[in-house]
Amino acid sequence: METQKNGRAASTGELTRRQLLRRGTILGGAAALTGFPAIIRAKAATTTLSFWQFYAPGGPVPAQSQWFEDAVAAWNAARDAKIQLEYVPSGDYMNGTKLPTAFASGQGPDIFLISPGDFLRYYNGGVLQDLTPYIDAHTRSDFSQSVIASRKVDDKIYGVPMEVEPMAFYYRKDFFDKAGLNENDLPKTWEQLLEIGKKLTTSDRFGLLFETMPGYYQNFTWYPFLWQGGGEIQGSDGKSAFNAPATIQALKFWQDAVKSGAAPRKPLGGGVWDIVPNLGSGYCAIQNCGIWGISNLQSGAKDVPYGIFKLPTPPGGKYVTVGGGWAMVANAKGKNPDAAGQFCAWALASASPDSLKRMVDWCTVAKSDMPPRQSAFDTGKAAFETGQMKIFTEQIYPGARAEPRVPPQVYKIVSDAIQACQLNGAEPAKQAETASQQLDAFLAGYTGAKIL
Amino acid sequence: MNETRAPGLGRPATSGTFAAVPAILSLCSLILGLMTIIPLLWMLSTAFKQQSEVFGPGILPPHPTLDNFIYVFTQLDFLRFLFNTFFVSSSVTVLALLLHSMAGYALARLRFPGREAIFLTMFATFLVSLPVIIVPLFVLVKALGLLNSYAGLIIPAIFNAFGIFLLRQFYLGVPREIEEAAIMDGAGYWRIYWSVILPLSRPILSALAILFFLANWNAFLWPLTIVSDRNLWVVQVAIASFQGQYSGSWNYIMAASTVVALPTLILFVVFQRQIMESIKTSGLK
Amino acid sequence: MAFGGAEGVEYETATGRRAARGAPWSMRRREAVAGYLFIAPDAIGLAIFAALPMLLALGLGFYEVDGFGGYRFAGLANYRRMFLDPLFLQSLRVTLFYVLMLVPSLYVVGLGLALLAQRRSRISGLVRSLFFLPQMVSLVVVALVWQVLLVDKIGPVNRLMSLVGLGGLSWLGDPDLALASVVVVSLWFLMGFYMLIFLGGLQDIPREYYEAAWLDGANPIRAFFHITLPLLRTTSFFVLLVATVTAVAGGQAFDLIYVMTKGGPANSTELTIYYIYQQAFQYNEFGYAAAMATTLVAILLAFTFLLFRITRGGRFE
Repeated sequence: METQKNGRAASTGELTRRQLLRRGTILGGAAALTGFPAIIRAKAATTTLSFWQFYAPGGPVPAQSQWFEDAVAAWNAARDAKIQLEYVPSGDYMNGTKLPTAFASGQGPDIFLISPGDFLRYYNGGVLQDLTPYIDAHTRSDFSQSVIASRKVDDKIYGVPMEVEPMAFYYRKDFFDKAGLNENDLPKTWEQLLEIGKKLTTSDRFGLLFETMPGYYQNFTWYPFLWQGGGEIQGSDGKSAFNAPATIQALKFWQDAVKSGAAPRKPLGGGVWDIVPNLGSGYCAIQNCGIWGISNLQSGAKDVPYGIFKLPTPPGGKYVTVGGGWAMVANAKGKNPDAAGQFCAWALASASPDSLKRMVDWCTVAKSDMPPRQSAFDTGKAAFETGQMKIFTEQIYPGARAEPRVPPQVYKIVSDAIQACQLNGAEPAKQAETASQQLDAFLAGYTGAKIL
Repeated sequence: MNETRAPGLGRPATSGTFAAVPAILSLCSLILGLMTIIPLLWMLSTAFKQQSEVFGPGILPPHPTLDNFIYVFTQLDFLRFLFNTFFVSSSVTVLALLLHSMAGYALARLRFPGREAIFLTMFATFLVSLPVIIVPLFVLVKALGLLNSYAGLIIPAIFNAFGIFLLRQFYLGVPREIEEAAIMDGAGYWRIYWSVILPLSRPILSALAILFFLANWNAFLWPLTIVSDRNLWVVQVAIASFQGQYSGSWNYIMAASTVVALPTLILFVVFQRQIMESIKTSGLK
Repeated sequence: MAFGGAEGVEYETATGRRAARGAPWSMRRREAVAGYLFIAPDAIGLAIFAALPMLLALGLGFYEVDGFGGYRFAGLANYRRMFLDPLFLQSLRVTLFYVLMLVPSLYVVGLGLALLAQRRSRISGLVRSLFFLPQMVSLVVVALVWQVLLVDKIGPVNRLMSLVGLGGLSWLGDPDLALASVVVVSLWFLMGFYMLIFLGGLQDIPREYYEAAWLDGANPIRAFFHITLPLLRTTSFFVLLVATVTAVAGGQAFDLIYVMTKGGPANSTELTIYYIYQQAFQYNEFGYAAAMATTLVAILLAFTFLLFRITRGGRFE
């Protein structure tokens, strides 16, 4: 897509519009088209900035929406450019029509939250405001470099990470007891994990649970298994690195889990990120889930005895997990990109103690996450080292690699390979090869920001 | 009730070995009917369960509780959302019935050049579904200044080729003589429509009313897309929001869903006989 | 007696037309003006809120749209891409299977339920309501409930099936079963509606035909095939048309897939309408999605046109 070459340039918008006008006139039949972008560009005159997020007022953890309200209130008390919070139900925020429709018609929010999975889509669309000017050098280096890297292009920061959410395994201690297992049996290798999964499988329970719904989230949870054997989507030469033993072994691992009967083809609840209906209800004994599982179990299944262990590794592999998390971004085509950008930096990426406190509060009070800033980690140390958080801090987080950012087309190719192997009994080697060819075909014509 | 004997199943069974047939068929249909609503009973029972019991084996709640309902009403401004939905759904239904019966009448009974072409064009819009046109539609509605308003919720939802099509089919079957008498009396077309055709269509209109009302009561995508003001939320948006926030708490989700299904259910039970009769006598076709 | 008597049922428009043809010109003009005025509100509304957006979508199909206000004319590129896109072709196949499984079942089940429910008995009202009840609940909730009922191993359906030795199936997780499961849920949800439609159609069949057939010694099966089915032509036309259109382009299939399977497992439930949605709203390929949507609408138009042609506008004159 040539118009997206540099992603940003406002001039491309001008050019395409003129082009469109000319062509549209030629296309007499579709004369209405010429009016289309004109209508789109007619922006509302309000100056209040809108901030879209998906934590409902009230909700199961009131501290989450409260955090946003407090931050916005503090900002509004001191600044002229007022911000108004708007809540979008999470299902629709992540998978629905609301955001794409708003952006496509020039009504996008001024400030919003995105995950790495969506970064390139928005960046390549030219709507992410460069936040680097608003963040001082010291704070820039305060962020975990791996975490901020997936929000950077050409050394400029386009999003302020709010949290890091690494993946691990959760297990039910009571089911372990029943199967005559204890903490010494916690698996260190993939093979052991499959073995123990089979042992824990009963007539009304699955031993193991991996994500099975196709989507960004499934890819996200699969990447660590790819990386552990040294696999990558894209090699340093820019070509696909997908047709490799590491890919095949990771695809086969998930396939074996389902084939052996230890893992189901369908989870309960919203998906495998949803721990209460799965591990909490006893549908499975071990579940692949992120750090948020701690707070979800706390609020949804308080009395369930559970433990956590880090991802096991394949033969000759090295430990690595994936760390997801959302980032705050500003709309470069919004009503006041400058103020919106300042807000993002002010909220979570300034040297002021307030900013730091906000991050600590977000990761400890509102959620139970790892903070992306070192100084936030130091400030909230006590909270990060108590209870179930401790194992994340000490064992799981240190090997975390940031969630990759890939364009939707790449996501789909990887997703199809995972789905075909995991649920359709396809040959992993063949799928890796096919996917690799598709990746090469796509990468050859891709001109957007670097895939990470 | 002027129900007829089952014509489709042949001769009236009156004596001998056939005497048991109607009873058996009734029993079968009752069993089938009850099986049909098992999933709904599951929803209902879950609404009375405690969270830990939701995925348990039993269908009946072991320790029935009303907490879920109380929680739903305290957490969300449900009454407001119910009112919005009711207002929007009934407005759409009334307006749509009026406009569609006018159009259906003209398309079936009045002769004018281009009638078939217009009908086919109108019908063609039935083939277009919302996900396909939602972006252009959003842009248009925004240009008309209807974002975040009741009008934006109501007006685009009125126009629906399905209703026009149904009514046209219905009017095609109405005997000509009825209006011809009125024409002889020198009545204008509007008067014929208003005082002859409309009263005639009462049965089919009441049947369509429930279908339209249901469709709008359960609409989600459009209300979500054009409304950002919480005061204008409809219940389905509230449910979706609830579901996102309480993904694990199915007891709450099902309680909320039950509350939302209840008004249509009550409406249906109250008017059940009328609706069924009218559908049967009007012949939706 | 000849069953041909059924052909005598005639729709009144034919005579009506004849009467109008003889009318003086000014009266015809008056009638035409009235006609236009009567359809004007709906025609304008449909033009603005359905036809215009569709035309815009049609136009979008010739552009590369980035979803953030950037447009680039792309000619037929989106259409060319479509026919080379294995996922699009696969989605058409899935849609075809879905229609082939759903529409005939809806026809048979809808008619069957109508025949059952129309019998005069003390419980007929109750039975009809029970069959119609699924329509009362929004599809999102329907999908959520069925997702639990159909879940692996511990789902009630699986527990039930294991009693007859068919346990251990993954109704929504096995690519060979998932589409059929979606069909069953769709059928469950929609059958009450089609039962109503058929009840209406059955009501229009004069009882005398059956009595005559009975006197002739025809058995119920023969009566069904020689009286009921032929006389349900108008209803059948309506059912086939509406069921097919909603199965291909309707929100109902979309909602179920969206909540229950997200197009998986392994794309086995990826209906074209869902694929279009993904391309537009998840991959930001609005232009490409518009091209596919246009194609889908064109296919449906061709189908409808054919059906109208065969049935002469559904009139069966």
